[in-house]
Amino acid sequence: MIGRIALRCSAFLVLLAGWEAANRLGLIRPFLLPPLTAVAARLVADVASGAFFLNAAVTLYRTLAGFALACVIGIPLGILISRRKLVGWFVEPIVSVGFPMPAIAFLPIFMLWFGVFDLSKIVMTGFSAVFTVIAAADAGTRGVERQLTWSAQSLGATRAELFRDVMLPAAMPQILTGLQVALPLALIVEVASEMLMGGTGLGGMMVNAENYADSVGVYAGIVEIALVGGIAVALMARLRRHLLRWHPEAAG
Amino acid sequence: MTDPSVPTGIVITGLSHDYTPRAGTRVRALEDVSLTVATGSFHALLGPSGCGKSTLLYCIGGFLPVQTGSIRTDRGLVTDPGPDRGVVFQNFALFPWKTVLQNILYGIGKRGIRGAEARDRAQHFIDLVHLTGFEASFPGQLSGGMQQRAALARTLAAEPDILLMDEPFGALDAQTRRIMQEELLGIWRQTRQTVVFVTHDVAEAVYLSDAISVMSARPGRIRRTLSAGFNRAADPAVFKRPDFTEQVELIWQMVRAEVDDARRPAPA
Repeated sequence: MIGRIALRCSAFLVLLAGWEAANRLGLIRPFLLPPLTAVAARLVADVASGAFFLNAAVTLYRTLAGFALACVIGIPLGILISRRKLVGWFVEPIVSVGFPMPAIAFLPIFMLWFGVFDLSKIVMTGFSAVFTVIAAADAGTRGVERQLTWSAQSLGATRAELFRDVMLPAAMPQILTGLQVALPLALIVEVASEMLMGGTGLGGMMVNAENYADSVGVYAGIVEIALVGGIAVALMARLRRHLLRWHPEAAG
Repeated sequence: MTDPSVPTGIVITGLSHDYTPRAGTRVRALEDVSLTVATGSFHALLGPSGCGKSTLLYCIGGFLPVQTGSIRTDRGLVTDPGPDRGVVFQNFALFPWKTVLQNILYGIGKRGIRGAEARDRAQHFIDLVHLTGFEASFPGQLSGGMQQRAALARTLAAEPDILLMDEPFGALDAQTRRIMQEELLGIWRQTRQTVVFVTHDVAEAVYLSDAISVMSARPGRIRRTLSAGFNRAADPAVFKRPDFTEQVELIWQMVRAEVDDARRPAPA
């Protein structure tokens, strides 16, 4: 167990050792790549002052609010696209045009509509994640065996109840795969929006450090974003294992 | 809300059914099928694969629309799926995200029964199909035979008037199938529901049924309906009785003729 963890961490240890060595040997100017120890000291200071928690909380709040928005809109819409022809015809062209668009290009529009504070960033984040969620729910529902819906109907389910009772749980493995892609995407777009708009949050803090030519602050920001992202992705994977404990993949 | 199941017959009149495959032209699956299933009888639909026997069953279930003709039970015309007609599929079609108990509770809950009464009722049917001890298992953790027991219990627990079975034992190994046939007969002798049972196994049809309708190859028609009746007496040696094997042989010859008919190239 400890051996496995050590093995998994070894890639990072090599990277960090190389980082510190490059500085100690004078191979690189500290402004371009500050010493690991200086970045670590800044991280400790950020944690101690509470700045890290404040910025991380702001970034996570906006990321998760946008992500939740994407789920609430995307999952029902994706299911409807595959189960109701009319919805499919109407929404599918919009999705196939919107999906490959770089979502961040819409940021000026959302700033115009929703202001420069939380709301515009939340909408931005939700917008960037929603297409992946729609596509996953659509694909997941398409594969549902008709015998499954027929069984539910002959046990007394109404057509409306089929969505909640059969479609949603049957599509859940693919929906969760979509969410596992959409969550980091939402975080990326949130940080990018903060970097473009400034203010609080991990991305805003980084852009602030950049403005003051504080390269230690920029590197500390990158590490903090990686930390928050890594934890979010790990929690999502844990949620998947919990929700899919009935699925053959859980046995593996 | 919890009206007990009342046995009902099925009267099918002039039923035809067409379908259009994803890429292709319209195919006639059923042609002018008229059939009466007596109240409380076990009725087998027998025929070569592709003869439309499953299509006929799905029409009775209300899963496929009635296009021409009519299907009537004692509750009225069949237009939609409903809890008065329970169904058991060859691939079990259990909800894989629900445990055995939760699967069986589903239909009970839809009838408005909750709490301890629902649990007692579910347990009764779990015991009936000999799945005691597997209440908390997910379908994916069970063998095919056990999954089909769970599916049968789920359908029975909703207490339908009519039981529709679509080659329910087709995916099981020979020994399990034999045991399931015996147990199904044992349960049916208690419940006396009307059963429509689709199969391509002649011996299975003769063993289980009061009446057997032999269907022709596509387009599906009812060729003949014969009575069997070996199911009424619980005789484990019935398979060896000369009148049983004779009946199987007779019906097999009829099915065989249908298969040969379907194989023969159409006249130029």
